[in-house]
Amino acid sequence: MAEELNVTIPARLSEVRELSSMVEAFGDANGLPDPKVFVINLALDELITNTVTHGLEDKADAEIRIRMRVRADTLILVMEDNGQPFDPTRDTNADVTSSLEERSIGGLGLHLVKSFADRVAYEFVGGRNRLTMEHDLTRA
Amino acid sequence: MDIEVAEERNEDVLVLLPVGRLDSGNARSFESVVMDHVSSGERRLVVDFSRLDFISSSGMRVLLIAAKALKAGEGTLVLCSMKNHIEEVFRISGFDRIIPIKDSRESALAASS
Repeated sequence: MAEELNVTIPARLSEVRELSSMVEAFGDANGLPDPKVFVINLALDELITNTVTHGLEDKADAEIRIRMRVRADTLILVMEDNGQPFDPTRDTNADVTSSLEERSIGGLGLHLVKSFADRVAYEFVGGRNRLTMEHDLTRA
Repeated sequence: MDIEVAEERNEDVLVLLPVGRLDSGNARSFESVVMDHVSSGERRLVVDFSRLDFISSSGMRVLLIAAKALKAGEGTLVLCSMKNHIEEVFRISGFDRIIPIKDSRESALAASS
């Protein structure tokens, strides 16, 4: 059976770097191509930034759980946090077309997460946000 | 967390080369480096991505701020030498339509003059 990743981290931006090393090790163990490892680390950076910046309200015991596994040519990434309920699949207001002068960065991170994933699903269960992302590995 | 940024000058163009990762953890550090140069009067900046392996929207935000500030002062920001996976992020974000992206340092310098 291929190696799985299952880790719980304090909800802090300083944790992102070490998590990215774990994702790279997971990618090596599962033979994932480098571009796929890149988009997973991009998604985690964006989602953790979002949770830490908007969802926690200085919650001292805030934590984020990451689970990752490969099943039948699909990479499944599940991220849970105990912050405020927030459904990132509903936020689709990223500005990717206006002029330089008018351009705003708001929503771009979630736009990237959704653009790279093949499927994204959100649920609020047991007091936690749970986001499940699937990436098809057969697609280039 | 600080980011390593190499700097090279080519006449009136300042070339910045961020190294490694530009993410949520060090974007503020990169913002300080870039905006200090803009504040001190640099008008033509090239950011060379050849030594950068990772960027997230936190890092792209800094480039957007710099591009706006430079354009307001009749200056230019040109990006170059991106790895393919990073260039795709810029394309999906629509940044390729507002900030010039060149294949090589030479093209970026030519576009800056």
